[in-house]
Order: sequence, then structure tokens, then C-alpha cells
Amino acid sequence: MRLVLNILAVLILGTALGLAATWLVVSRLGFGSVSDGPWRTSLLVGSAQSGPYLRANVARHGLLALARGETMYYTADHDSGGEWLDGNCIYRIEGREPSARWWSITAYGPDDYLMKNKYNMWSISGETVQLRSDSTFAITASKHRAPTNWIPVTQGRFSLTLRLYNPGAGVVDDPANAMVPKIRRVVCVS
Amino acid sequence: MKKLLLFIVGVLAVAGVVHYVTLIQTPGFIMKRVMMKMGEENTIHHQDKVTADSRGVVRPSPDLLYSVCPFDLTNGALHVTAPVPPGTYWSVSLFDEQTNNFYVKNDKQAKGSVDLLVTLPMADVKRPSGATEVLSPTAKGLVLFRTLINDEKNFAAIDAVRRKANCVFIRSRAS
Repeated sequence: MRLVLNILAVLILGTALGLAATWLVVSRLGFGSVSDGPWRTSLLVGSAQSGPYLRANVARHGLLALARGETMYYTADHDSGGEWLDGNCIYRIEGREPSARWWSITAYGPDDYLMKNKYNMWSISGETVQLRSDSTFAITASKHRAPTNWIPVTQGRFSLTLRLYNPGAGVVDDPANAMVPKIRRVVCVS
Repeated sequence: MKKLLLFIVGVLAVAGVVHYVTLIQTPGFIMKRVMMKMGEENTIHHQDKVTADSRGVVRPSPDLLYSVCPFDLTNGALHVTAPVPPGTYWSVSLFDEQTNNFYVKNDKQAKGSVDLLVTLPMADVKRPSGATEVLSPTAKGLVLFRTLINDEKNFAAIDAVRRKANCVFIRSRAS
């Protein structure tokens, strides 16, 4: 009887631990394997060579993503100072236009979907960005409206995805050196 | 002491097996759920513009228009045809039931239109002439069209062309 109870306890505890490990890996950990500042990307998204961990993570956080020759996805949930992105703060996303046929930066809520806002604005792209005279840009991610290049976010944590459609050969070969923009926290308000 | 050690090793061994099995099942499980949400198989579904209410697939791009055909090739093949909208980014991509992206063609590569027959290796179907055969690693999967709204002013024109894409199921001769 004692042996049966012990086996049962091993099975129950082991199953709980195994499920918790899968949940943790799939829900809580990002799938990036190459970092460029706060931005993470993976070389194997969408490809059959991706291992079970990457494939499970992509299925959860970036299902139906294209392989990197077609599109590269960089995701940031921290700023360049290493702090979590927080909707109560104002962020300046500064850089040069990345090497790609088309690019965009989109904000997502903690559930990986677009956040509700009355402006129906969620992204800035190569088509909509206003460049400065030296061809650089400054995008503002904040709750309150910014005059140009504004991505509205809401209270709580959020993340950003930079998409490069048909990335330049230099980026595909060296994803850690894509000249991705810096994400600078300006100020936090409660 | 020995019993405790045995207990811990047992728990870890069970945890390892459960973790591995659930991990490798995750992509197929998520894909199946998403395909069911998308609607009827072997038919094209032109999705509305992405908004904060779009809850089908995680991290959608609000700058793209998506059209999808969830497929099941068990009893046939899928004939996929589409004109390429001019002057904007467009692509057709195929995913297997494990979420792998096994085929992609964009507007620059497609040169005006695509005509594909998505099929399993030994499928006995009447092949449409001119269609490029694409072998699917799994019976179930998804065709996904992406069309970039490069300018809101062009929305109606771009939307009209992307809605001409079609997926037609060709039943195998044996079934």
C-alpha cells in the first residue's frame, strides 16, 4: 500500500513539475537567440531546423512567422537600459532606417495582441515614419499623444516587434548587427 | 535516505518525460486550435483589417491584410491561385501542422501571379495545367497570404486584388 502511494506521489509530482516546466518555457521565456541591444531575434524561426524549444515558443509568441530570408522579427520587452517596457513611461525609439525593403515597429500588450486605443494606431513603418534631415528617426511610445511618430501604449507591460520584410543581405548574414534602434526611457509617470 | 533519493529521481524522471512530450506536442496543439478558429478547411478566408479585437493569431501586423486557407490534403490536393497586387509587398506562405514555414514566394518572385498545387507526395489527383507543385510535409497545414497596406489611400484597390486569391480543393481520384 505504501509503495502504491509512493508511486502515485512520484507520478503526480513529476507530472506537475513537467507541466510547470513546459508552461514556464512556452509562456514566460522569449524565443530570441541573437541579441542586438534590447532586441532579440532568432535565426531559425519558421524553419524545420528549429528545435522543440524554439518551435514551441514561436508557436506561442509568433505563430506563422516567416523564415528569415523573407522576414526578420526582432522583439524587445526591455529598454536599452535593461528595464521592462512599461506603459506608464515615455520611450524614445531612435535610430536609422533598417536595411530592408519594408519595416515596421508595432507595440503589443502582455497577451501578445494589439492594445486597445481610440486612435486605432499601433505601429510606425517605413511608409509612415517622419525622418529628420539626417535620415534618422525618433519614435515615441507613450500613453499620451506625441506630435509625430507616435505609437500609443497602455498601462502595464508591453513589448515591441521590429519587422524587416526582405531584409538586406548584411542583416540576414549578421542579425546581431542590424543597426536596430535604441529604446531610451525618457520619464515615468504614474 | 536512499528512499528519498529514489523518490526525487523518480519525480525528476517523470517530470522530464512529461515536459518533453508536452513540449513537442505544443506547436501542433496551438496550430490545430488556430486552424479551427480560422474556419472551414480547403476554403479561403479573407480576414478583416487587423485591430485590437483581432484575436486569431498572436502578434498580428496592423499594416498587413491576411487571407488564409487552412488545408487538409488527406483526400486530395489544394489548388492555390492569386494575382499579385501591384506596387506593394505581398507574399504567399505555406505552413505545416508543426508550424514550419515550408514554402514562401513574394511579389517580386511571383511576377504577377501564383498558381500552386499543394499536395502530398503520392496524391492521385487531376493536376491543373500550369500549376507549380508544392509538396506538403503534413496532410494538414495553412496557406497564408500577406498584403501590405503601403498607403491608406490605396486600401480599396489593394483589398480588391487580394480578395481575388483562391483555394480550391481537388478531390483525389481514389477517394
